[in-house]
Amino acid sequence: MDTLAVEAVGLTKSFGSVRALDELDLSVRTGEVHGFLGPNGSGKSTAIRVLLGVLRHDSGRVRVLGADPWRDAVDLHHRLAYVPGDVELWPNLTGGEAIDLFGRLRGRVNQRRRDDLIDRFDLDPRRKGRTYSKGNRQKVALIAALSADVDLLLLDEPTSGLDPLMEAVFQELIRETCARGTTVLLSSHILSQVEALADRISIIRKGRVVETGTLLDMRHLSRTVVTVLTDRPTEKLVRHEGIHNAHREGEQVRFDVDAAHLPAVMQELATLGVRALTATPPSLERLLLRHYGDTPDGVDQP
Amino acid sequence: MSTLTGTGTLLRFMLRRDRLRLPLWVLGMGLMALYISTALGTVLDEESLPGMAQMAATPVMALIGGPGYGFDAITIPRFFAGLYGAYLMLGAALMSMTTLSRHTRVEEQSGRGELVLADVVGRHAQLTAALLLAVLMNVLVAVTMTGIILVAPLEPAPGVGSTALFTASIAAVGVAFAGVAATTAQLSPYSRTCTALAGVVLAVAFLVRGIGDMSRSQGGDLAWLSWLSPLGWAQQTAPYTLDRWWPLVFPLLFAAVGAGLGYLLRSRRDFGAGVLADRLGRERAPSWLGTPLALAYRLQRGALLGWSVAIFLTGLLLGAFTDSMADVADSLPPEMLAVMGGDGAADAFVNGYLGFMSVYFGVMFAVFAVLAVQSLRSQETEGHTEAVLATAVGRAQWVLSWVTVTALGAVWLAVLAGLGEGLGAVLVTGDGSLFAPTLLGHAVQFSTVWFFLGLAVALYGLAPRLIGLVWVLYVVGTVLIFFGPMLDLSQAWLNLSPFQHTGQHPATDVQWLGVTVLSLGGVALALLGAVAFRRRDLSA
Repeated sequence: MDTLAVEAVGLTKSFGSVRALDELDLSVRTGEVHGFLGPNGSGKSTAIRVLLGVLRHDSGRVRVLGADPWRDAVDLHHRLAYVPGDVELWPNLTGGEAIDLFGRLRGRVNQRRRDDLIDRFDLDPRRKGRTYSKGNRQKVALIAALSADVDLLLLDEPTSGLDPLMEAVFQELIRETCARGTTVLLSSHILSQVEALADRISIIRKGRVVETGTLLDMRHLSRTVVTVLTDRPTEKLVRHEGIHNAHREGEQVRFDVDAAHLPAVMQELATLGVRALTATPPSLERLLLRHYGDTPDGVDQP
Repeated sequence: MSTLTGTGTLLRFMLRRDRLRLPLWVLGMGLMALYISTALGTVLDEESLPGMAQMAATPVMALIGGPGYGFDAITIPRFFAGLYGAYLMLGAALMSMTTLSRHTRVEEQSGRGELVLADVVGRHAQLTAALLLAVLMNVLVAVTMTGIILVAPLEPAPGVGSTALFTASIAAVGVAFAGVAATTAQLSPYSRTCTALAGVVLAVAFLVRGIGDMSRSQGGDLAWLSWLSPLGWAQQTAPYTLDRWWPLVFPLLFAAVGAGLGYLLRSRRDFGAGVLADRLGRERAPSWLGTPLALAYRLQRGALLGWSVAIFLTGLLLGAFTDSMADVADSLPPEMLAVMGGDGAADAFVNGYLGFMSVYFGVMFAVFAVLAVQSLRSQETEGHTEAVLATAVGRAQWVLSWVTVTALGAVWLAVLAGLGEGLGAVLVTGDGSLFAPTLLGHAVQFSTVWFFLGLAVALYGLAPRLIGLVWVLYVVGTVLIFFGPMLDLSQAWLNLSPFQHTGQHPATDVQWLGVTVLSLGGVALALLGAVAFRRRDLSA
């Protein structure tokens, strides 16, 4: 289980004076869905294009399925499929033609799965590329990628134009694909999608991976939000070590607790006569916000 | 709040967007007039003019030129208006069509038009502003051209009134086709289809008046066809001869009808939609479409088809002209003879003509090849290349697949031109021995095309932004081969033109060394480009 489908160490890539990747480290284990999170311009797409072998990195080391993605691109592409965030189709080829073409150029196409996917994504394959909406163009690329028998899927914000129904179909299909043993690297803006699908997550900021792990691991490193209504006053409690951001909301008190201090705080709390309590683990959104420069109101820097 | 609210603001906005495009069109059209009038004024004199007029009065020239008013008492201005006016009119029509498309359907297709319409802007404001812009451009073209023709070294000096009429007739065609484009822009949701439809109208208008004028030159009874075409109306003004203004009423009425129809259709359709529905296509790819070579062919097929039809017909037409050339060989100006490599004897002149035409086609095919490489570049900037390379297709393989299709297409077009030209020549002269040498002379032109193709591919691999540099060599090469002999340039200068090295068979022998060097040089350059493409990043 511990073999790596993708392994990048110290990956650097500059465009002119702009440094898009800055010593990026990324490892994706074979068979997992790896969520790749970061704001616009943080280097997600550049990283994926380097893994695809479309861009050449300046320095560092990168292996994809054990091969060098730049040098061995053609052999490697028999074993992986790619879906970009902005799919462009040839204006006068139909969706069906494009799907078949991509399948044949890659090899390993599964005809039955192709037809099944067209059905499930509810796509009309007879329409010309120029007549598709953004969402439909993305369906074409997804069908072409998912109908291939490949070992690795590189998905770069693959559902940014899909409606919620199709989003559900997509999540279902990714689970099925994984069940067949395919590794997935999923870059996304949709946090609920990553929370639902990803086994592990890497957060990228300014061309560098700043955090990697399971969502559970990351939550341990972060704070739980507690809202509590007590019989006795909480003035002493909120000065307890590991409590931040305490403030009153009507009769209730709301504060953040570092994961490490959670047991001690709970013991203390029990002595105050708890009448109502909610404890929320940090959302992925909050985890992300910890790493991004601008902090919205009410969330201070750890 | 009317349907025209915001027209003025939109017009100013369009002028701002076109602050380069508008002057370039106006100056370009003016330079074309300057070039033609200067060339005519330099080459033609009292003695050579009647010979040229005799050539221009043939049915084929009537077909591609015009009704030929005043050719029986020819002057240089009459020759200019009668033979070249049609091409300035085509230029004005293209200017109007692209302007209308750019500011209406292209905006609508891209979605920018929707943002504009969501503002305080009437439904018809965009179309109205675009029409006003097109009219303004045509007026500017007419004014600029009038000034240029009046200062050009023409003998006798053209009259002011006649020149104003001549340029007004050109502008009137431009305005008429702004009206056509206003209608076609409503028909399809895709700007390319809309412009293509307007182009079909233009081609039909050109052909209808051509047949009418051809009939007129023969005293036939189809001359009335010239009165069914906007180009025909404009030519019936007969500037420098009859100087009639009244036929210009027709193109202007035609423009009004076109614009009116455009407004009507625009009111009846939804934003972003077209009147014509899009047809459904194949559910599955045909079985042959599964390799990079097949994809490259599929993507270049449309262009190849269009070029094939155009080249074959042009070949036939120019071949059919062989007979007239033999007749007028004696009275042509010596400069023309020098260009065509003949020495005045009718037989040598026919060979000279056919040989020269082979190079003329070579010059045209080079355009096909360079455009094909520029469209390979568009594949990359539009994101298609990344999608192809994300499958198991290698970089060099993709470039070479594309180039192979273009290179074979060039050979195909060269052979097709030779077939057309040879067939046309044999049909009018009845001399079957012209066919084989004409075919050979045209076919070897593929080598020059391969050279330009290779050069463009090399630039594509090494520095894709610089592909346009190929056009510089192209223009220099073309000017040298066409006008070098007229300018008495030394052979060393002439040899700088790639078009110089194939020989002009059947006038001269095929220069096999030149053909070999050009084609192998092209192959080597293309390979260099493919290798270079393996080393660079894709650009968006």
